[in-house]
Amino acid sequence: MKKQLVHIKGTKDGLVLRLDDQCAYVDLLEELQRKVSEGGIDGKVDVQVHLGNRYCTNEQKKELIQIVQGLGKMLVSKVQSDVLTVEECNQKMLQKNCDTYVGIVRSGQILRATGDIIVIGDVNPNGRIEAGGNIYVLGKLKGIVHAGVSGNAEAVIAASHFEPTHVLIADRVETMSNEQQFVQTHTEQLCAYIDEHGIISYDHIQEVRNLRPSFTTFKGGS
Amino acid sequence: MGEAIVITSGKGGVGKTTTTANLGTALALQGKKVCLVDTDIGLRNLDVVLGLENRIIYDLVDVVEGRCKVHQALVKDKRVDEKLFLLPAAQTTDKNAVNPEQMKSLIDELKRDFDYVLIDCPAGIEQGYRNAVAGADRAIVVATPEISAVRDADRIIGLLEQEEIEPPKLIINRIRKHLMTSGDTMDITEVTAHLSIDLLGIIVDSEDVISSSNKGEPIVMDPSNKASLGYRNIARRILGESVPLVALEDERKGMFAKIKSIFAK
Repeated sequence: MKKQLVHIKGTKDGLVLRLDDQCAYVDLLEELQRKVSEGGIDGKVDVQVHLGNRYCTNEQKKELIQIVQGLGKMLVSKVQSDVLTVEECNQKMLQKNCDTYVGIVRSGQILRATGDIIVIGDVNPNGRIEAGGNIYVLGKLKGIVHAGVSGNAEAVIAASHFEPTHVLIADRVETMSNEQQFVQTHTEQLCAYIDEHGIISYDHIQEVRNLRPSFTTFKGGS
Repeated sequence: MGEAIVITSGKGGVGKTTTTANLGTALALQGKKVCLVDTDIGLRNLDVVLGLENRIIYDLVDVVEGRCKVHQALVKDKRVDEKLFLLPAAQTTDKNAVNPEQMKSLIDELKRDFDYVLIDCPAGIEQGYRNAVAGADRAIVVATPEISAVRDADRIIGLLEQEEIEPPKLIINRIRKHLMTSGDTMDITEVTAHLSIDLLGIIVDSEDVISSSNKGEPIVMDPSNKASLGYRNIARRILGESVPLVALEDERKGMFAKIKSIFAK
């Protein structure tokens, strides 16, 4: 008997379609089409597609999703592959990278980072920081900060003295002229983040662990 | 081999030229051979403040373009014998008449003959600023305790930190103690903490500075004036002495003087 190219597995989160990663892409599409149309599903089901060691371009991924969702019974929640191109990998590395700047970001200076950035020193008025990830200022933050420049809305800005003129996260802008009550009364140890309503909000630094629990890179501990 | 110090501020009107004239005179009074260089080409006035306007024959641009030797263009200040000289800026052209390389070789030449070369920088961060900074070994940033002057000082310090010179030092000029104690202007610790560079000295505001400038006679010539004392102290600090800051408090009258002032009414 011919080797099965598409395995269907049921999990508590829905179905998992495990696609063979050695066969030709055309054969895979054919078999997938057949398997999916076999039916036997009542109602809607969440489906995860696992590609294994096959690299698919975004167009191919879209094609796969179209086939699976073609009958309207399955909803693809995730397409997952074990393969990354070198470029994607480098991109990820840059985003994960954390730069350290020791010194003062003075008026007219712009500091750019692809990932997170830690500033050991002050950010003076009209000084600007742009980071792909988070911004942490150990001194006084009095300038302009833009976290998640490339669209990462999860990014946060934290400072030991929080008194910026402009706060930008991803595509949100907040000028501090109409700053919130909270920031007016507290300036020490604050962080800015985009809350569940999509608005830039402020809270104590201690809350970051509840707001963005995934930020920690520390494993284990005693 | 002497040392070249550029005096700059970013913002105009905070007292760069006055500071240059007074520091130069104070250093000369301490027995050092000093040359003041006005790099504000097109808007020169260091010569006016020093009262040397009438004696200018050649200027900086003449030297750079080879129309005269450096020593021909230097104007001697006769009040401080053989110690204080001025290299005036040209008034008929603009800042682009000179480039940083030319300035650097000119300053290097002057450093051979003088203990200190003080460079008066024009306001702004354009060509004039780049010319002035090119030959300098050290920089002094002048700021008044106003927010606008402090902002510009911050910008200029950022630019100076990118140059290959020693970290700049700060002079806070035109301090009015009643405004500072009432909190209407930034106080000294606020300004230094914000700019986070070393404080070289403070100069209290004094109307005599204006009148002496108008007379073409630097205020340091008057040893009793408080602003003069500030400049003299800064000169001593440049020479390596450690001098405490001038006290800002109003002079407390003694008991006797108080009683006397009551009766004097």
